[in-house]
Amino acid sequence: MTAHRRITDPVEAMAQRVAERVVDLVLDVVDLNALIQRVDLNALMAQVDLNALMAQVDINALLARVDVGALLEQVDLNEVLARVDTGALIDRIDINALLSRIDMDALVEQTDLGAVIARSSGGAASEVLDAGRSQAVGLDQFIDRWVQRGLRRKKPAPVAPRALLDGEDTPPAPQSGAPPARPGEAPAGEATT
Amino acid sequence: MSPGTPARSVTAQGNYAGSVSRFLAYAIDVAISTGVFTLALAGISYAVQVVTGKQVSWNRQDIAVTVIYVAWEFFYFGYSWAMNGRTAGMAVLGVRVVRADGQAIDPWRGVLRALVFPLSFLLFGLGFLGILVQRERRALHDLIAGTAVVYAWDARAARLRFLAREAELARIPPDG
Repeated sequence: MTAHRRITDPVEAMAQRVAERVVDLVLDVVDLNALIQRVDLNALMAQVDLNALMAQVDINALLARVDVGALLEQVDLNEVLARVDTGALIDRIDINALLSRIDMDALVEQTDLGAVIARSSGGAASEVLDAGRSQAVGLDQFIDRWVQRGLRRKKPAPVAPRALLDGEDTPPAPQSGAPPARPGEAPAGEATT
Repeated sequence: MSPGTPARSVTAQGNYAGSVSRFLAYAIDVAISTGVFTLALAGISYAVQVVTGKQVSWNRQDIAVTVIYVAWEFFYFGYSWAMNGRTAGMAVLGVRVVRADGQAIDPWRGVLRALVFPLSFLLFGLGFLGILVQRERRALHDLIAGTAVVYAWDARAARLRFLAREAELARIPPDG
């Protein structure tokens, strides 16, 4: 050990002890709560870049550590739901778009809804009427297809008057080379109305 | 799927009606109107016979009978189109007369359509060719009256009824 180190080491150790003692004394004197109350936390938080902070957080790892089951057990869902304004919620839902996603055919075939419809929508008369009209429309389209083919029309004819054209009810556009779409024309391979 | 089964997810409602539907509707209307006319003549004959004791026989060649018959046909079609936009035959086939732009028909157009309807029979029925070749399937009387004929029945609802019946039948055990 050099002569220089022999002098500086004890001085540094003493300075360290003095500093620790001073800090202890200052902390004993200062009221930290009062100090924090004087700090403008909003201004402080405004300076924090939360996005950068969140970018550093692995949300998936965080969520993986969350016991959702235990969390939900602590939640009173009835109370939460009671606070939900269902009217406002429903107002925000596009019911038409929602219903358009329902496969009505499957619904009727696979649920008791079909039985309800079958029992409530008339008997043999409506069945005969449906079949007769379907046959007639099928023949309409058959004849029309050949007429259009014979006339060699390239531009598809309008399927309905302007006022009756509806986005959902408009038949699909005709395929190239196929005859123009006509009233109620169904996709190829299916029976027509 | 059996022939005539309503199509999947397709509705013909509002689309221009084709020749077969329209012809069948017209045939039903002629049968109904002629039947009603014949019954009316028979009823009048019976009433005259009961009141006067004289037997009245109607001759098809009689000009008066022909005129009354034509007037009755005008009334039958004109009144039906003016009031409802459809005749009984059209109701059966599920078609309806509308204005060319698709709006509900005005009563005067219904009457006009009935008045000019015979024009389509002239020249061997060439006026009806429009139903086949005109882009909007409008016959001569449609073009004059500013009308069109569209399907007015909901094929989608018909299909759901069909599926419902099929599903109901499938639930019944084979032994009945």
